[in-house]
Amino acid sequence: MHTDVHQHLWPQALVSALTWRREAPLLRRSGHDWILRLRDEPDCAFDPAAHDPEERARLLRRDGVDRALLAMSSPLGVEGLPREEAQPLLDAHNSGLLELGGPFGVWGAVSLRPPDPADVDALLDAGAVGISLPAGALSGPDGVARCASLLERLERRDAPLLVHPGPGPWRHWRPQAYAESGAPLWWPALTRYVADMNAAWHAFVAFGRPAHPRLRVVFAMLAGGAPLHAERLTARGGPAGAIADERIYYDTSSYGARTIDAVVRCVGIDQLVYGSDRPVVDVGATAPLGAAAREAMVGANVARLLGEARLAVAS
Amino acid sequence: MIDLQTGRDLTREELSELVADLAARPDEWRHLVDHDPDVRTYEQLLRDEHVAVWLICWMDDHDTGFHDHDVSCGALAVAQGTVVEERLALGGPPASRRLGAGQALHFAASDIHRVAHGGDGPAITINAYSPPLWRMGAYETKPSGELQRHSISYAEELRPLGVR
Repeated sequence: MHTDVHQHLWPQALVSALTWRREAPLLRRSGHDWILRLRDEPDCAFDPAAHDPEERARLLRRDGVDRALLAMSSPLGVEGLPREEAQPLLDAHNSGLLELGGPFGVWGAVSLRPPDPADVDALLDAGAVGISLPAGALSGPDGVARCASLLERLERRDAPLLVHPGPGPWRHWRPQAYAESGAPLWWPALTRYVADMNAAWHAFVAFGRPAHPRLRVVFAMLAGGAPLHAERLTARGGPAGAIADERIYYDTSSYGARTIDAVVRCVGIDQLVYGSDRPVVDVGATAPLGAAAREAMVGANVARLLGEARLAVAS
Repeated sequence: MIDLQTGRDLTREELSELVADLAARPDEWRHLVDHDPDVRTYEQLLRDEHVAVWLICWMDDHDTGFHDHDVSCGALAVAQGTVVEERLALGGPPASRRLGAGQALHFAASDIHRVAHGGDGPAITINAYSPPLWRMGAYETKPSGELQRHSISYAEELRPLGVR
């Protein structure tokens, strides 16, 4: 079984619900195009054709990948909306994806206002492989504490957590005046996303791990490169050994040979899993470190992350 | 996983002591022994910032080929059976040594060697690297005699294809 742990696919019901919204996140028609408006990112084009399940399945077959795990596009900020606003969007997302079946698995998305472990149970019972949370919700000791009931339930159910870039409800970034600043579309992805993922990783190893010793977590986009700072973490008195945590995994989304290899040097090949972030970016299911490394990242390591196989290493 | 907190990289002499000690304590790893006639099998006994320790099971004809360890030094101790180590030499036969149970050797990052099963039944070695093995050089001799170095991820060694 070869798996891509990180893709996004917006079900029609979610797209429809976003077009009815009056405040961001929303979708608007502009001539023949769709425009996606977020609260604190530049407007961008949205292509419904990129979210066609049949085409997505075809791309999986092309890449020799058997399964894609679909996650909420957390930069939308849905998880942090007031629950009565969030729930229709979350339901449209979760139900629409869980109905797909075939080569698709689902990371369930939950409301954070307030976090409710019953949501975790309901999604796992409905077939989700685990739960995703926005990095902004976990980017400090307070966030980890507020999400504790969700993390505890995941740990008890032996199900993994995906940490994905996105804002949390209790840490508001000042909306950027993108139109005036001239910032390009990639600006948030290289600044706030990286900072949030880095903060979430450090918060998890410092506060989350002691409270949830058996929870398996996968950080998207190599956790913003957080493990590369391990020497500095140790020098500053942080938790030494964080990079040797066997239950923390890193998806490779958007990265290539140099950065993946650098993270392998820090955490070892057994902790990396293949995630493409399709359709946001798509570097294809390449093997930048060789066939054996690819096999580990799409196969054996994913099986351990999902609890489908025991640790291959001695434990 | 064995418990070891060094807090720093180890020298090859220290690694040699570590693997010799572990090789003499089979209760720590006996349950992980798994010989496969087709390929060497590996179990990682430890990995932290500074040291990685593996258990390797060998059978007839298993041979690493000549390789280096890029920036890691290492050591190997034989717990069972026999292995043969050769150091690459230009213009002459490789320097060869045979190691039986209870014997150990160590190597610098710059050493180029190969290790092969030495016959006499299945063998077990304990190997340690510091810092943990990352990239390796695999050496190939072309028919013309040219020696070529291929840079490979350590995954090719630790998680070779075809292993269950």
